[in-house]
Amino acid sequence: MQRDTIEKEILRIFAELFEIESPGLDENLAEVYEFDSIDAIELLRELETLLGTELTRPEQKEAMEIRTINQIIDYVENLAGKRNI
Amino acid sequence: MEASGTHQKQAKPGKWPGWPIDLIITLLLWAYYTLGFILFFAPFYLLAYLFAKESDRRFQHLNSLFYRVFFTLVRILIPACRWKIDETVRDVRASVVVSNHISYLDPILLISLYRRHTTIAKARLFAIPLYGNMLALSGYLPSNATGHLADLMLQRMASMPGHLADGGNLIIFPEGTRGRQGRIGRLNKGAFKIARLCRAPVKVLFISNTDKLFKPGRFLFDTQRPNRIRVELLETIDPDYEDGSFSIHSLMERVHTLLEKHSAALEESCE
Repeated sequence: MQRDTIEKEILRIFAELFEIESPGLDENLAEVYEFDSIDAIELLRELETLLGTELTRPEQKEAMEIRTINQIIDYVENLAGKRNI
Repeated sequence: MEASGTHQKQAKPGKWPGWPIDLIITLLLWAYYTLGFILFFAPFYLLAYLFAKESDRRFQHLNSLFYRVFFTLVRILIPACRWKIDETVRDVRASVVVSNHISYLDPILLISLYRRHTTIAKARLFAIPLYGNMLALSGYLPSNATGHLADLMLQRMASMPGHLADGGNLIIFPEGTRGRQGRIGRLNKGAFKIARLCRAPVKVLFISNTDKLFKPGRFLFDTQRPNRIRVELLETIDPDYEDGSFSIHSLMERVHTLLEKHSAALEESCE
């Protein structure tokens, strides 16, 4: 999965699900948009759909520490690489 | 609703001032809260911890029972305070329950009403020895899920749809902290996001006058002032989460407006 495809998908999810339009890629989501752990869990469900695979508990825990869109993209890119998607 | 705001507690000539009675009753209630817990409830918690299959469910039942007894004592010891809890409130099941928050009594009052419940507690409380363990064992959620609480939050959220489907309630005070009667603070999104995540209905409750019985910042219960505590169900909101036009912000605004209007109406009726 290409990085720009991932970015496009993440921004779509943020607009549709979290009502956050065009967030800055390095903005702290918690500070600027009050993106919290419940949002993170909802995002994980969307990422599972995007990747077509379930995430393990350690992978989910790792996601709870993510703060920016760029970190989310890195996270998805890493997961996709591990699963050869 | 009684205009309890107009009643002034004053010692009449020849009569005892109210505060010694307030002190005695407050100490009795604290004695139940501490010694009563240790003597009458702790053994059952221990048994639930050691032997119950679903210990969180047992802990929730015990928490609810502990607070039910507490409020029974309050009713007996403080007859000047009358209570009206609508049947529709008691009947709430399988819902995200949101309410205004004016006193420390509010969370334990709602817990006393629902045997099967969970709630969100401040993350720092989970770090308090024993008390934090009790919160975790009761299946409660931390308000923040960074560090070691991430795993707990993931577990709780994974089991939340089952908890709600099984008839349990999730109790949340979306203002986050106690507000003043007459004003509804800014709501946090958490309750509404969980409702969407679990496709659950939202029940909007309104609690009035608990702040007159146990004033914020005061150690003593106000036992002499005539008061009437009420818990009402303002509305059941069952959003169509699949509808593309559904919005968390609109849901929050709707709930805020409901609470604010009701609060203003009560204030007006008291003036």
